Amino acid sequence: MSASQEYFEEKEKIDFLFYRGFRVTRVTENLDGAAVEFERTGAAGQEKEVLHLQTADARKYFSSILFHQQRNLTPAE
Amino acid sequence: MADLRINLAGIESPNPYWLASAPPTNSGYQVQRAFEAGWGGAVWKTLGEPIINTTARFAAVGFNGKKVAGFNNIELITDRPLEVNLKEIYETKKRFPNHAIIASLMVEPNREKWHEIVKRVEDVGVDGLELNFGCPHGMAERGMGAASGQQPDLVEAQTMWVKEAAKTPVIVKLTPNITDITVTARAAVQGGADAISMINTINSLAGVDIDTWNTIPHVAGKGAHGGYCGPAVKPIALNMVAECARNPHINVPISGIGGISAWRDAVEFMLMGAGGVQVCTAAMHHGFSIVEDMIDGLSNYLDEKGISSVQEIIGKSVERYSDWGNLDLNYRIVARINNDVCINCNKCHIACEDTSHQCIDMLTDPNGQKYLEVREDDCVGCNLCSIVCPEDGAIDMIELPQEQPPMTWNERQAVLAGYKDNEREAAK
Repeated sequence: MSASQEYFEEKEKIDFLFYRGFRVTRVTENLDGAAVEFERTGAAGQEKEVLHLQTADARKYFSSILFHQQRNLTPAE
Repeated sequence: MADLRINLAGIESPNPYWLASAPPTNSGYQVQRAFEAGWGGAVWKTLGEPIINTTARFAAVGFNGKKVAGFNNIELITDRPLEVNLKEIYETKKRFPNHAIIASLMVEPNREKWHEIVKRVEDVGVDGLELNFGCPHGMAERGMGAASGQQPDLVEAQTMWVKEAAKTPVIVKLTPNITDITVTARAAVQGGADAISMINTINSLAGVDIDTWNTIPHVAGKGAHGGYCGPAVKPIALNMVAECARNPHINVPISGIGGISAWRDAVEFMLMGAGGVQVCTAAMHHGFSIVEDMIDGLSNYLDEKGISSVQEIIGKSVERYSDWGNLDLNYRIVARINNDVCINCNKCHIACEDTSHQCIDMLTDPNGQKYLEVREDDCVGCNLCSIVCPEDGAIDMIELPQEQPPMTWNERQAVLAGYKDNEREAAK
């Protein structure tokens, strides 16, 4: 599989979780990439998902979303 | 025509081109010929206790048909008595009062010795002094040159001793044979330097003769490390100039040295913060007359840009130079092959396939013609294909619209810190 294909697959998973209302609660970066923990509170109670992101582009992608979410929440920006 | 005059720490010259302290500035005869040719200034070959040289002294490193890609020397400072040099400096300055003559100096790290040479040299009317803390060979074995230039405390102390006696501007010439040149640059500033210059030559062995097993050059079958300069060192020198120029603690003018061979090189150094440049190897390779092209080229460049004085370009690119952590991770370029221009040599394909990211496909069109195409989604924009491509215009690096707004590594790490257990704990 090409590098871009691997990225698109990981990106799709990230987008899907955000789409379903999950938010990132914890990030663990290690030699194998990044374990990103997502949580949401829904009708079924607290739900948790973990994505193990391996591609550089996916690790960049989710952090870009977090970075810009944070920026947009900052009134001074 | 643009004004090419510069004023570097109070030293004025008709253009930014100075000959560096080296064999081309060994005598009054040479410096006067250089001034006649158009050089704006000259840093006289280093004065100190006259030495004894060896033969041979020089070696060149060629590459791909270019005879002098790099240049190595084991020549030391002046071998002529100080009195002789001073007489010629006086005569040269009298004949060329508007040209800059800077005396390069090197003595033992001793206060009285520095005071003595500074007074004697200034008495003949030099425009400035350059302290040679960079010569890497021979003199360094005697505790001078790079040996003292690698120790920040000695750089600071010796600069201070010189400043105690000097009436003219003091330039400290730094060695590149050190991990972080900003450390010694700061020491020079602390010592009171009016300017710094860089780089002196880099420790080097030009080669080994694989038939005789002698070093290149060798002296009766033995060799010793020399100092490397010429076009090959330009990127190293340019980085060191830029690192000093962007350091807020190094707030003195910089004289740029290292592989400057043409006006474009001079512009690059000045954009990166140099207030003027010094040249040696190019003059040794092609003669003093190369300065004519350097002056014309610089003048035309400034005129075309609508810039009235060369001093206006000093430091204009410095703010564009930063740490890796401040680069935008979301900026994206990709390679695009122009098949109208491409000669199908396949060098880009081979380079990408063997040593990069395997994103250039060899395809065949419906007419049976072979062509190359970049899979842009897999291209990481490394530039390698365009570097190895022998045909101008066959590969363009194209900026893509950003899918995500800008974000640097430092910004990324700052935001992720809030999501990492260990860093959250540390922040409590």
